[in-house]
Amino acid sequence: MSGEEEENAAELKIGDEFLKAKCLMNCEVAVILEHKYEQLQQMSDDPLNQVSQVFEKSLQYVKRFSRYKNPDAVRQVREILSRYQLAEFELCVLGNLCPETVEEAIAMVPSIKTKGRAHDDEAIEKMLNDLSLIKKFE
Amino acid sequence: MFFHIVLERNMQLHPRHFGRHLRDNLVAKLVKDVEGTCSGRHGFVVAITGIENVGKGLIRDGTGFVTFPVKYQCVVFRPFKGEILEAVVTMVNKMGFFAEAGPVQIFVSNHLIPDDMEFQSGDMPNYTTSDGSVKIQKDSEVRLKIIGTRVDATEIFCIGTIKDDFLGVINDPVTS
Repeated sequence: MSGEEEENAAELKIGDEFLKAKCLMNCEVAVILEHKYEQLQQMSDDPLNQVSQVFEKSLQYVKRFSRYKNPDAVRQVREILSRYQLAEFELCVLGNLCPETVEEAIAMVPSIKTKGRAHDDEAIEKMLNDLSLIKKFE
Repeated sequence: MFFHIVLERNMQLHPRHFGRHLRDNLVAKLVKDVEGTCSGRHGFVVAITGIENVGKGLIRDGTGFVTFPVKYQCVVFRPFKGEILEAVVTMVNKMGFFAEAGPVQIFVSNHLIPDDMEFQSGDMPNYTTSDGSVKIQKDSEVRLKIIGTRVDATEIFCIGTIKDDFLGVINDPVTS
């Protein structure tokens, strides 16, 4: 498939379908999967038997790598990041990795510095500051 | 990266399920059929979160089975080339190491591990810098970049690198 060959997340080439889709940060996935797991728990005694290996592995993974634990903080992160005209994918990479410096942020999400985008170092720095504030007050 | 997307699937239902609980049966079958599967296009289907709509059923000639087009929302995990993510190391050997990010396996070859890290064999095989300050072993958490994906019918497999700025170990199971 020729589309496959051009795939490059660093340039935000992830295919139209996924570019328009709603991206989820690890912490958001944790909220969704834990909720679903609780529902299963209420229905049967042995919920682990009910879920697929993919579900189980994903749940473990997002629990381990969630930067924000409480659902309110998770909501705030999305709200703050969405003020910066980011693509969904960029927003989630930043929310997942929580870079500390501007250089790190650009290394993680090279597409925020591409031509025609209004992100100078100052704006990025402000965004990272806002993010670390949520973490601090969580 | 995890996504929340809407997918469609044609579900075949046996006539014995028709009746009051038709929809419940349809949804239960969908969950059973779809959750945990993987396709190259959409990645791993982690969990179905809702049913968007169930279309009109079509009776199949001869069998009595009915096909319903079902639109459903689900959480999928789809790795992309160029994506940077965090993963847990599961196995280390002299060829490199394997790591897992949710359902996906990622291999990092020793060519894509920084040159100053040397392989050390033993009970707990690992890659260590010459001064011993950084160590990659089983259960280490690493940040890596996906540089290639291989897709087959039921699995996606990735190749990653940690030979770049801001990549590498983020937490050492020994020190933390």
